[in-house]
Amino acid sequence: MIASILPSISPGTLLAGGVTATAASLWLLLPGGRSGAADRTARWLGWLLGIVALAGFIATGHRLGSVGEEAVFLTVALVAVISGAATVVSRSPVYAAIWFAMALAGVSGVLLVLGGQFLGVATIVVYAGAILVMFLFVLMLAQPAGLAPYDRVSNEPLLAAVAGAVLLGILSLSIGRLTAEPPACCLMGGTKAALLADSAAAEPATAAASGIDMLADNHVARLGGELFGRHLLAVEVAGVLLLVALIGSIAIVSRGAADAESAAARRAMP
Amino acid sequence: MILLADVVAPSPLVLDGLVVGAILFALGLVGILARRNLIVMFLCAELMLQGISVSLVSWSRHHGDWGGHVLVIFVLTVAACEAAVALVFVLQAFARTGRLDSAAWQSLRESNLSRTIDHELPAIDTVPLKFPKLAPAGIEPAADEDAALEREHV
Repeated sequence: MIASILPSISPGTLLAGGVTATAASLWLLLPGGRSGAADRTARWLGWLLGIVALAGFIATGHRLGSVGEEAVFLTVALVAVISGAATVVSRSPVYAAIWFAMALAGVSGVLLVLGGQFLGVATIVVYAGAILVMFLFVLMLAQPAGLAPYDRVSNEPLLAAVAGAVLLGILSLSIGRLTAEPPACCLMGGTKAALLADSAAAEPATAAASGIDMLADNHVARLGGELFGRHLLAVEVAGVLLLVALIGSIAIVSRGAADAESAAARRAMP
Repeated sequence: MILLADVVAPSPLVLDGLVVGAILFALGLVGILARRNLIVMFLCAELMLQGISVSLVSWSRHHGDWGGHVLVIFVLTVAACEAAVALVFVLQAFARTGRLDSAAWQSLRESNLSRTIDHELPAIDTVPLKFPKLAPAGIEPAADEDAALEREHV
């Protein structure tokens, strides 16, 4: 849509503009030690530039098949990305945690669209249900009243924003190149090309036709079969890892409590 | 063995999923570099993990196998372990310094780095918060003195 309205803009220019807008937007949005009206103006400008950058990314994106699919994917992806940005730039850590929950909802939607039914639900249950609640518990235990000074300033916001935007530019550049034909140098003469042609003729190439359908009825059963068949050892190791983390965190807590008690006793002695 | 996926171009949905994963990863990177609050830094690390998960599931869809899904399940497991241990460390750090500030531990920095000093801090917005109030209705109940003794506040 946008690309057809602005046909004169080349994809390279669009990408460079998107990277610049992303960097400027993140720099304006991050807590930068401004106060009062200047901060509010900077945040408005930052969100506007962020919307411009998002529009650039949507314009360079690829058209999916149907309008409905596109609308659903766009909605969940925008929820994930905008909430992720709000997580990063929120002054209050409690708001950051709540925005992160929203970003998790968006990510789980993206996973559902991509065919990860079990993972979409597991993300909500494990992340939003367990990990995020743990974060909020720690925040309630440790957060001082009001906004702390260190929540109102950032470490080098300009450099961080530029680094993130440049990384994003490089990543989207290499993702855009995936659609291109493989360079001739990598085909090693005619033999590999001939092999490819043979095997491509022998078996269907696309994922949908290769016999593993992500959207099958018994999705979870197949995932479980894969997990407890081919990756059984890794599952056992993950179980041991969970146990070690449990014991380790309890050990650190009780050790810290003993240290604090002995320190208090030492202070009380003289 | 020749991977056919090396030559078959990914579908548009896979590419869009990869872009979403890249954006989430970059946002989390910016947060971890810039923010000072330890808990917000951890949230940003989790955001980067979410970006990785989206990318893995996209590639799994492209290749038509379960490898990406299984990896994401292990990412979830390790993230849970990491959050448990790291939050305990954060609590211990808070107990020692009274702050959730990463700059409170800057004595651990490299010797050639300069010290982080907060020069001028912005003033807190003094706009008072407004909460909704219920209109008074009915008659005021008689105060129960026993209940008032039992608890100081609700």
